[in-house]
Amino acid sequence: MLRLNPLTVRKLKRFREIRRGYYSAILLAALTVLSLFSELMVSDRAVFISYEGQWSFPTYSDVELGAKYGLTGTAAVTPVDYRALQAHFEGTDNMVIMPFVPWGPYTNDAVDGVLRAQPPDAERRHYLGTDTTGRDVLSRLIYGFRTAIFFAVAFTALTYAIGVSIGCAMGYFGGVFDLLFQRIIEIWSNIPFLYMVIIVFSVIPSSFEVSTRIALLLLIMVLFSWTGLTYYMRTETYKEKARDYTAAAQVLGAGTVRVLFKHILPNTIATMMTFIPFTVVSAITAITALDFLGWGLPPPTPSIGELLKQGTANLTTAPWIVTSAFVALVFILAVVTFIGEAVREAFDPRKFTLYR
Amino acid sequence: MRHPIVNTLTTVLLVGLLTACGSGSDPADDAAAAADFEARKANMLATMQEHFDTKMSLPPAVQEAFERGEISPEEIDQRTAAGEFEKFFRFKTPADLPTGLVWEDGSDLPDIGSPNATKGGTFYGALSDFPRTLRLIGPDSNGSFRPWILDDTRMQLGRRHPNDTSIDANGNFRYFPGVAEAWAVDKEAATVYVRLNPAARFSDGEPVTTDDMMFTFYFMQSPHIQAPWYNNNYQRNYTNITRYDEHTFSMTLPESKPNIFSRTLEIGVLPMHFFYEYGEDFLERYQWRFVPTTGPYVLKDEDLKKGRSVTLTRNDDWWAKDLKFWRNRYNYDRVHLTVIRDSAKAFEAFKKGELSIANLSLPEFFYEKLPANDPLVTNGYVHRSVFYNDVPRPTYGLWINSGRPLLNNRDIRVGINYAVNYQKVIDQFFRGDYTRMRTTADGYGEFSHPTLKARPFDVERALDHFAKAGFTERGPDGVLINEQGQRLSFTVNTGYDSLQGTLTILREEALKAGLELRLEILDGTASWKKTQEKQHDIAFVAFNVSPEMYPRYWETYHSVNAYDQPWLADGSPNPERKLKPQTNNLQSIANAELDKLIEAYRASDDVDEMKRLAFAMEELLYEDASFVPGFVIPFLRTGYWRWVQWPEDFNVKLARSANQFKLAWIDRELEEATRNARRSGETFPVVDRVFDRYRVNLDTPATAAAQ
Repeated sequence: MLRLNPLTVRKLKRFREIRRGYYSAILLAALTVLSLFSELMVSDRAVFISYEGQWSFPTYSDVELGAKYGLTGTAAVTPVDYRALQAHFEGTDNMVIMPFVPWGPYTNDAVDGVLRAQPPDAERRHYLGTDTTGRDVLSRLIYGFRTAIFFAVAFTALTYAIGVSIGCAMGYFGGVFDLLFQRIIEIWSNIPFLYMVIIVFSVIPSSFEVSTRIALLLLIMVLFSWTGLTYYMRTETYKEKARDYTAAAQVLGAGTVRVLFKHILPNTIATMMTFIPFTVVSAITAITALDFLGWGLPPPTPSIGELLKQGTANLTTAPWIVTSAFVALVFILAVVTFIGEAVREAFDPRKFTLYR
Repeated sequence: MRHPIVNTLTTVLLVGLLTACGSGSDPADDAAAAADFEARKANMLATMQEHFDTKMSLPPAVQEAFERGEISPEEIDQRTAAGEFEKFFRFKTPADLPTGLVWEDGSDLPDIGSPNATKGGTFYGALSDFPRTLRLIGPDSNGSFRPWILDDTRMQLGRRHPNDTSIDANGNFRYFPGVAEAWAVDKEAATVYVRLNPAARFSDGEPVTTDDMMFTFYFMQSPHIQAPWYNNNYQRNYTNITRYDEHTFSMTLPESKPNIFSRTLEIGVLPMHFFYEYGEDFLERYQWRFVPTTGPYVLKDEDLKKGRSVTLTRNDDWWAKDLKFWRNRYNYDRVHLTVIRDSAKAFEAFKKGELSIANLSLPEFFYEKLPANDPLVTNGYVHRSVFYNDVPRPTYGLWINSGRPLLNNRDIRVGINYAVNYQKVIDQFFRGDYTRMRTTADGYGEFSHPTLKARPFDVERALDHFAKAGFTERGPDGVLINEQGQRLSFTVNTGYDSLQGTLTILREEALKAGLELRLEILDGTASWKKTQEKQHDIAFVAFNVSPEMYPRYWETYHSVNAYDQPWLADGSPNPERKLKPQTNNLQSIANAELDKLIEAYRASDDVDEMKRLAFAMEELLYEDASFVPGFVIPFLRTGYWRWVQWPEDFNVKLARSANQFKLAWIDRELEEATRNARRSGETFPVVDRVFDRYRVNLDTPATAAAQ
């Protein structure tokens, strides 16, 4: 059973009182959880099929071939086109239920036999229009959002894990260890991260799976981003180390690990908390920027940056692309920033601290 | 974020230059510089003379063996001393010219361009990147600026007539004179005699002489230019160059091929006097020096704004300004080229009136960004033209590296051919305007295979072929897998960012047949480098083909260009062979039967035999299935402001870009009137034209170009 520190309870209460931040947090959390189930809402795979009395739910199944649903000829050996199947089943006892947006992020939809950027069209269920090769913008946006937000979460977790532990160690041990790591960090943080990404990505073979490439990108970004945190953590730890409670703990015989994680860390975490939303923002911005520049995720992976790139290249002819991507990006960043504001306010050490 | 750094660098460079200039005015330094120049000149001339004296004309087989190290320099010397080889550079007198030469000068050919053309005005264009050098040759010289100082503006000895594409009795295309005044062929001896126009001058006023031509060959054979292709070309494809007098010389080829002129007249002459300081440091020394040209446009030092723009100026004293074939062209007084790195941005600049013309060949531009109902078009400010040209086409398609695992299986390659849905790309993405390519040698008229066609998209046949190769089951994601669990998945790399959309469509379609194409969009140089290193699975790339009479096969299909040692002594494939980088055999084809045909084709001087061989080779290549023919763009679609005027036919048959032959001119009164009209709201008649005089029905190519 989680036992919250009364101070933390007060902080959380304060956070709830800042309504803009609180609701933003709920909204973002809801969207993030919802995005886990994107396939059920936005996909070119049917949610439910009833064929000759048999029910099936192809969303998460292996690719199905047309023969399963009695299709013949080429369609029998080709992965099922569920939209066509729906039309095919029209007027029979069989039934296909498609998701709300029946378009996957990769499906090219030729309206009137032409693959081009189509304006929003509710009837065809392209609620935000299509991109220049006829792919649904909303679908690409949602899958792009999912990648970006989970990327950002993983990024934040990893940078904090590294940054906090190294910073903490620097502050606590001090001396040669501190000196050495300071110099290493100074050198390390002078390597331009963007160029490193470009260089590394130009040498890793594209035969890697998309997920591997995302993991690599994450790793590189983390490698070059943890340094910033160490400074704050180091000073905080120095400060806390000199306090009596630390000395008391040491005298009582607590080991280094216990002192660090049980006593010092909880007292410094307030400062660290306030940085989290901004780390998330920077992660989303970075991955969007990389995609915009063409150095991020390999095509045709959906991403907000790629949509922005297409949008700016077709600013006058297909404004719905850039509008969708821009609004989505601003929305996400604004929401995260609101949360950040609220967190900072709620965790403000000047308001809540045991040691003044 | 990069700009401040770049600016600082430029400042540092500028300061450096200023200091250099300042100290240059010191008389002592001047004297030292002059002495240095004299020393370099003497050294260059001596080295060249030594080259003239020692360069032997080696038969191709001996040359290749020598380069591979199988024959030592000593052996060459011995065999030379024994009189086996002759010199490459020969010096004779006019009396040595054979009698009975029939001199031609192409004067019966029609003029090019419009007699209505007037000189003047400024043409505004865009460069995608600032030129990295002004050298015409060597590293970095092959950029988008090159046509402006070399290909399209520098005069060659002679040029193929761009409208009259007939073949004369000797089996040659028709040529019109440039720097040469006349030429004569000795077909038996595979020799072409050339007489330079005595009036020909470089832009610095120096006359063009045979010595410049001899120097050109020395220069092209020299290693300091760091251009292996040129080194190879000027050594292997010629057996000698002979000087007869100030203006007369001859060139001899190893074999007498049809259209001998493509190798003998399409050569630019370089000014020897400009290269007196030529030596090992050529690349740095000549990096930013404009080479005096025989053509109309010169570049002044002050017009080179590093990183931003380049402006060319028409030389009022151009020696050829009244010459037939040249007089109605090169009409702009100034050509202002701004660096605009992003093509979408460049197009917006055009629509604002900052650029003179725009390429509308991609449907995106023709239908979306400047459609027929765009106010600029409906108000008559901007005109649009669709001009059907008739040239060998760039070979857009998928080049499958058959030297890679799995791809070395012919069934997989045939399956890929059936799984690639180019027809959908053409019909739906290019809106049916482009046509499907048939072979890599489309557009060569009678040399193009009359019946071969690309394999259509056919899921069932693709699956059949993949099944034969062991790929029978679909994995959970729909991609085929074989018994070893390998996925049927290949990387497609390309450097054509603007054509990325075509590949994403192909990818989706290929998945239907259980084939995964992983896309790798790189920048142009990186992708080409990967392909040249033969590191690609499948490359989406195109060779730009010059309007030659017949296609080339050796470069792209001979086994020596596929592997370092393709065969064992008994003629079986060498199991230890390695892919050979830096060649054009992108498919890594090594087929002994094909090699024989290629060699016969290379050696043949008979048109009918060459056609027969070409067809046989195309059929073999079709069977090999390591190339998926893509699409052909059969026209030039151009948008231009109404003050840019064009000849009645708009362009010439062989035009590969609207501005290649520089036929347009600027009407300055119209420019003034149109700019005013845009402010006052006055409109003009719409001009949206199609020129289909040279339109070729690419579905039935047998009657194409060579009529």
